[in-house]
Amino acid sequence: MSLWSDWSERVRALLFPARRERELAEELRFHLEQDIADRVRRGDDPARARRAALAASGGVEHVKENVRDASGVRPLQNIIADFRHALRSLRRDPMYTVTAVLVLGLGLGAGAAVLAVADSVLFSPLPYAAAHRLVRVGQLFEGSTSVWQLSTVDAQAILGQQRSFESFGLVNGTTMGLSGAGTPERIPVGRVTAGFFRALAIAPVAGRLIGPADEPEDAPPVVVFSHPLAQLRFGSAQGALGRSVTLDGVSHTVVGVLPPGRDILGPGIRGSAWSVLRLPTPTRRGPFWLRGVGRLRADVSVEDARRDLARISERVYPLWASSFRDQTARITPMPLLDSIVGGAGRSVALFAAGVILVLLVAIVNVATLSLVRASARAPELGVRAALGASPLRLARLPLAEGVALAAAGGLLGLGLAALAVRLVARHARNLPRVQDLALDGTTVLGLLLAALATALLVSAPAVLAAVRASFRAARRAGDARRTGVDLGTMRLRRSLVVAQFALALPLLLGASLLFRSFLELQKVNPGFDPGPLVTGSVSLPTRRFPEYPEVQRFWRLLEQRLAEAPALEAAGLADDLPPGPIGNVNNFDLLDRPVPPGGAEHLAPWLNANADYFQVLGIRLLEGRPFGPADSGAAPPVVLVSRAWAERYYPGESAVGRRMIEGGCTTCPPTTVVGVVSDVKYQGLTAPAEVIYGPLTQSLPRTAHIVARGRTTRADAVRAVRELVSSLDPELPVVEGTLQARMDAALAAPGRSTAVLSGFAAVAVLLAALGIFGLTSYAVRQRRREIGVRIALGADTRAILRMIVGQGLRSAAIGTTIGLGLTLLEARWLQAFLFEVPATDPLSLLGAAAGLLLVALGACWLPGLRGSRIDPVRAIASD
Amino acid sequence: MGEPAELLQGSLELLVLKALSLAPMHGWGIGQRIDQMSRQVFHVTQGSLYPALLRMVRKGWLRSEWRVTENNRRARYYLLTAAGRRQLAAQTEAWRRASGAVNGILAFGPSEGRA
Repeated sequence: MSLWSDWSERVRALLFPARRERELAEELRFHLEQDIADRVRRGDDPARARRAALAASGGVEHVKENVRDASGVRPLQNIIADFRHALRSLRRDPMYTVTAVLVLGLGLGAGAAVLAVADSVLFSPLPYAAAHRLVRVGQLFEGSTSVWQLSTVDAQAILGQQRSFESFGLVNGTTMGLSGAGTPERIPVGRVTAGFFRALAIAPVAGRLIGPADEPEDAPPVVVFSHPLAQLRFGSAQGALGRSVTLDGVSHTVVGVLPPGRDILGPGIRGSAWSVLRLPTPTRRGPFWLRGVGRLRADVSVEDARRDLARISERVYPLWASSFRDQTARITPMPLLDSIVGGAGRSVALFAAGVILVLLVAIVNVATLSLVRASARAPELGVRAALGASPLRLARLPLAEGVALAAAGGLLGLGLAALAVRLVARHARNLPRVQDLALDGTTVLGLLLAALATALLVSAPAVLAAVRASFRAARRAGDARRTGVDLGTMRLRRSLVVAQFALALPLLLGASLLFRSFLELQKVNPGFDPGPLVTGSVSLPTRRFPEYPEVQRFWRLLEQRLAEAPALEAAGLADDLPPGPIGNVNNFDLLDRPVPPGGAEHLAPWLNANADYFQVLGIRLLEGRPFGPADSGAAPPVVLVSRAWAERYYPGESAVGRRMIEGGCTTCPPTTVVGVVSDVKYQGLTAPAEVIYGPLTQSLPRTAHIVARGRTTRADAVRAVRELVSSLDPELPVVEGTLQARMDAALAAPGRSTAVLSGFAAVAVLLAALGIFGLTSYAVRQRRREIGVRIALGADTRAILRMIVGQGLRSAAIGTTIGLGLTLLEARWLQAFLFEVPATDPLSLLGAAAGLLLVALGACWLPGLRGSRIDPVRAIASD
Repeated sequence: MGEPAELLQGSLELLVLKALSLAPMHGWGIGQRIDQMSRQVFHVTQGSLYPALLRMVRKGWLRSEWRVTENNRRARYYLLTAAGRRQLAAQTEAWRRASGAVNGILAFGPSEGRA
């Protein structure tokens, strides 16, 4: 048999079915005419000849059927016919079709978008060769959950003694003033040792990366640019090579450019440029300022590396015990992916849970709708079943409808997901690895599978109904008509409504908990009024301000000018700003209550500020004295503490006059607490307000922020600050901002989660309401005659209304109760997202349940009202 | 002329091939020719002729094309392909062998009449 002729015939049969039919009809007509002509020629009269020819043919339709069977494409044609039929019947019911496609499209689209985010943020491998061998190296303390950075001492010990890594590098993120190529600006810079790029195994697109030859103190300063920076400043990667730029006043040569999309490297360090990190000679164990990245040897596991590094910790400890007495500190490796993804996994999981619930509600909803259609078709199905259609045959139409709906919904979802992914990539910049976000094959495959499952789930109840119809028909044809209400279908619909409420409740509750938590967050008193305050950040480059005297002179001068500036009502200086989180966290030991030897010292966020800073922010002095002009330079070190700090370490006592060892420096003079001030939230709005303030003139940071309140507008204040700085030094860039913007940023992420989850909940509740509305309306239609009889017998309308609404509410109540049970199971998990609101908050639980039932009541009321107004005469008279 | 005999399974294809080996012909003509050639013993119904034609086209033994008859009517003509000719030869040979064998069996021993 020729394969070619066979398949070409089949394909033609499939592609041109109409032409096939036309030709077949013509061929058979020709046959018939020939036959008639032949019979006439042999003497029959035309009418008799025609009858005889028709009889001889055995029935034209029968012949056609036989030919169609021989075409070899019958099963496929049946499927196509099913889809044609399904599409026709969907077109006849545009309300249902549009609703179903929209609902499924939204559900599938949201699902695909969340899958894409989860895929690129959580699951996709890091874009480095053999990324599973990359680890971040940090410091863990007993009882602390966050990972600390490494100190110079730790870094040198690891570099000198480690046996686990093929290569190991260190990185420190900072910002530097870039000039010499366009307008001066401050850019994020990663300072790295040669091992850093080697560990990540990145190749440059142009030039070279930082290597061991760049590390010696006398090596010429070099810098590696990110791809966007090279393009912005020099037009192209090649064009940047060999150019000279100034970083914080020091001339650097651009020796290489990284590939595009590599602005964030390793553990969350964003850099537009990468320069050489040189480790200073340590004088004490701290400070902890370096991030370590290592590439494990092929034969070394993370566990092996952990043991190796723990041994190094033990060796380092006794050498520097005088300046660092926490023996529990352990240098620890952790898989790089984990350390990058960090807490983002949780919020992605929250959205994923929300999306899955919405998708399920959507599916159940459309399934209910399709069941309604199936009930409307029940008589037709009954007849067809009675005529001998097999259950399979009857089930094919709803199945084809489900597939068609899911396919349309999937297409719509794909479009929506592509849109959503683009939005997320643009706006959720704090999400790690979001720059890798794309609607890739995995996501599309996931969407396809979800759409397929949706098709099956959506059509399942209708298929079930069809199969049952055929069995019922087989038992006693026509019976369905007499009983009127199909009890089984009704039960099925009720359980679908119950399911919708059970799924909607966790969403509604989650959203209301997040909303309450968000309200609590907004109620948090940050300790200051951000309203009119503007900020200007200034960094002093080491080249023009090499030593402390120059730095001190500049801050002094700036402080003076700020105080005198006519446009400014008040202006202060500090090296960090609320609401944080502030970078400088220092350890301290109280002289009158020292930690036991080897124990972990206390930690507190540490902020350096001048006296005016407290005045501008409205931080009140509660006890003791403020910073004065004498608290500078070589004077005995002093600090102010926040009330929260005082209450924690000296509850019920005065904290003023207490003394402490700062930063483990046992040889330094102890620091005295001279005053207690009102609380300000520095470590985010949800964290306690314990903080220690040092005088700016005693610590002399290189970067400080001006906080100012102007006499007129914010814009005037900003201009005044900028002019003031440039009058002191025209080359210093000033980064401007407002405290309000910083506050808004702190509230943005929780606000976004609340908004998204509220949207999900709104959709779910709306769908549940539609579901129960549809069910109740249907029930009323089905029971028209019965209700009519009741009214005729004297039932009053209120009783009828109560009966109908009560029945609907019962389903809603069962669903809500199941939903409450589901939610309680998840309470502990949800708690992590909440602030000051328990996940089992009875008010929210009852509120959400009551709200859902109220919606159900509303949705049942309308059909109930219609039912109570049924005209008994007409209802009973109707069939 | 008695009742038309039923065709043996598979023999329809052989008859169609044989009918077409003389000249291309349309469906009605093929039926007529089989009628004539079998002296009205075999009568092929449309319900089995046309599906068989389609199956044979799919097998590559026949080709079909629309032509105009002597009476200026459009009709679908069937033509033997090269594969069809080979098939005719093979099936003819197979049929001869089978019918010879069956005849031999029937000629063997005393006849008991029709089974």
